Amino acid sequence: MEGIPDSAPSYKPQLILSGHKKSIASVKFSPDGNLLASAAADKLIKIWDATTGDIIQTLSGHSEGISDVAWSAHSDYIASASDDKTVRIWSLDDASVKTLRGHTNFVFCVNYNPRSNLLVSGGFDETVRVWDVARGKSLKVLPAHSDPVTAVSFSHDGTLIVSCAMDGLIRIWDADSGQCLKTLVDDDNPMCSSVSFSPNSKYILASTQDSTIRLWNYQTSRCVKTYTGHTNRTYALVATFSTTGGQYIVSGSEDAKIYIWDLQSRQVVQTLEGHKGPEISSISYLAHPTRNLIASSSMEKDLSIRLWSDE
Amino acid sequence: MNTSLLNPFNITYPTAVQASLPSQCTLARFDRSGRFVAAGRSDGSAAIWDLETRAAVRWLEGHVKGITSVDWSRNSRFVLTSSKDWNAIVWDLASDIDPPQRRTTIRFDAPVSSASFHPRNSQIILALLQSGDAYLVDLRKKHRGRVELEEAHDDSDEESSTSPRSAMTVAHFDPTGRHIFVGTSTGSILVFNTRTKTIVARHKIPGAGVMKGFDFAKSGRRLVTNSSDRTLRQFTLPIYPPPIADRECTEQELEPTHRFSDPINRTAWHAMSFSPDGEWLAGGAADPASHKIYIWDIANDGQLASTLDGGREPLIYVHWHPSKPSIVSTTNHGNILIWHCPSPERWGAFAGGFEEVDENVEYEEREDEFDIVNLSLIQSYLFEEDESVLAKRKMRQEEEEVDILTGKDAEEDIVDHLRFNGDEDDFFWADDEPDEDERGWRMKIVMEDDDMI
Repeated sequence: MEGIPDSAPSYKPQLILSGHKKSIASVKFSPDGNLLASAAADKLIKIWDATTGDIIQTLSGHSEGISDVAWSAHSDYIASASDDKTVRIWSLDDASVKTLRGHTNFVFCVNYNPRSNLLVSGGFDETVRVWDVARGKSLKVLPAHSDPVTAVSFSHDGTLIVSCAMDGLIRIWDADSGQCLKTLVDDDNPMCSSVSFSPNSKYILASTQDSTIRLWNYQTSRCVKTYTGHTNRTYALVATFSTTGGQYIVSGSEDAKIYIWDLQSRQVVQTLEGHKGPEISSISYLAHPTRNLIASSSMEKDLSIRLWSDE
Repeated sequence: MNTSLLNPFNITYPTAVQASLPSQCTLARFDRSGRFVAAGRSDGSAAIWDLETRAAVRWLEGHVKGITSVDWSRNSRFVLTSSKDWNAIVWDLASDIDPPQRRTTIRFDAPVSSASFHPRNSQIILALLQSGDAYLVDLRKKHRGRVELEEAHDDSDEESSTSPRSAMTVAHFDPTGRHIFVGTSTGSILVFNTRTKTIVARHKIPGAGVMKGFDFAKSGRRLVTNSSDRTLRQFTLPIYPPPIADRECTEQELEPTHRFSDPINRTAWHAMSFSPDGEWLAGGAADPASHKIYIWDIANDGQLASTLDGGREPLIYVHWHPSKPSIVSTTNHGNILIWHCPSPERWGAFAGGFEEVDENVEYEEREDEFDIVNLSLIQSYLFEEDESVLAKRKMRQEEEEVDILTGKDAEEDIVDHLRFNGDEDDFFWADDEPDEDERGWRMKIVMEDDDMI
């Protein structure tokens, strides 16, 4: 039948990684699929082996908690966004660190462009900043929103930037000129938790704190798919695409479960239970192009990262 | 991706300087993706500029005298520089270090005035020497060699060495790489087949004088020449037959479709460049006191569309961006000017659902549009009805399949779309032993040391 997948995913718990002392804010697989980076309120970034779950490296240096991490396209650098108002770039090859200063308040989100020569970050100073990675200098400051910026990222060809904020707006920017090209807004203006481009950058996936995830066609400014069933009222939960086996949307939920929807039919096809904490704070994207792997982390009380696989 | 959201009516030719990069360089060329500019300096060094960060990301230190030309391989991994120090160097930007590794150094016995890659294979290199000789250097294992391009021996019976040979002053591949076009000091264009290195045609251009430069429209069918008579000429090229051993080369006079010159000041031209769609031609004026780029509208009978004024620093070189209305020009003070077509800020884009209007529009409201009626009772009834209908409609609309994957890797292959009738041998020959210029190569980001902490 149309819209119903031939076989639903069956993710099973595979590994539980523990080490962080405070709430984990972000977990991300490296683009080559070998490593997993996690950042937490305990000011540390930990690098894990994505297959064995062994801890490989702990990066310390931030003076406040960390909200987000991002991998460079070559899996050789990690950028982190922290409440100490800085973005740091960590080299995994030679352990060097570069600090990007400029944000005047907590930095909340960070991402590389596909060539990894630029970084984009957003934070509680309501700006989006574009950075020259090689020189560590700010290239652009976009007066982007009127509330803290919760997510920002590049399109797959690096020509567009999408940002969203607690003001409920999703804005699309021309990466070269820094001009605002479009603003998407839902009628009720719910706070926006996360936003990202689809793999081909033709759509935008946005989750909002009215417990809804929407897929937007930004050309026509029309919402083409809505995913509901989970709970998202308080935290900036991340929703991502999963395309390694079938096409799914994956998101955490404040009922401590992970929800998996079929992209086309918008039906919940699996929920993953296991986290003890009250809320799941984040879900990373699925790593390896050939592996069906989900990493999840949750808020205080349950300080573990869980890996789920469907192989 | 951004082109779909930008105003399509802006895309014509650049009008204003967007950035000035101090680089001490004399010539600068975009790569074929338009992300980088290679800039050559008169002290023998060259730099690769990243246009996204507007910073030099690689320094090419190898020549000891001025750089005379720079060229990019089709996927931008290799850069070819030629210099007055008798060398041409191929640089590999995929090497992890800065300065990047040299892949090859090719030594000649005279200053090199230009060198270019074959458009399909960067191991085939065309070099022109200041002595007026052109060489085709093949670095491939099977074809290794260096062949001098020689004008046909149609007068070989009567001791060709006695007749004064005209010097070659320009040498370029056409965009397919199938032919080499050579300009001479006596105002001729010689066309060689790249594979056989034999001459296939000779065009005499009356009144042109010494040939100074060539540029091809992307399609390869149109050529513009610069010559010492201070006129740019555009030609529509004939289709050249495949080379046959004892066929005489075609002698043909070509009549330019357009002539571009400055009738008042009679300025000469330093360089010229077609726009990516071939509809515009930019000419860099050799004016000693100003920086002027002339833009001609070729689709509109070649009339002058605009003169761009870049200030007081005289112009040296001009190159058009491979896909955008953007130009790079260099000044004799050593600055690179990046020209762009500024698009006005659309404030309407900041507010979802709003539209900007050019002038005031008197709004005609519908009869009951802004009526204040206490509808609380009716509303609750109507609303419910409405909502369920709306929700149903919305559900139906959302049944439509979305495609989130297609187009992810879609990048136009710049060279391969140029297919030519007839002789495929030329392509097979050029594609034999492909270079390592794969599309997926990446330039490592070299981070400057952090002086803090």
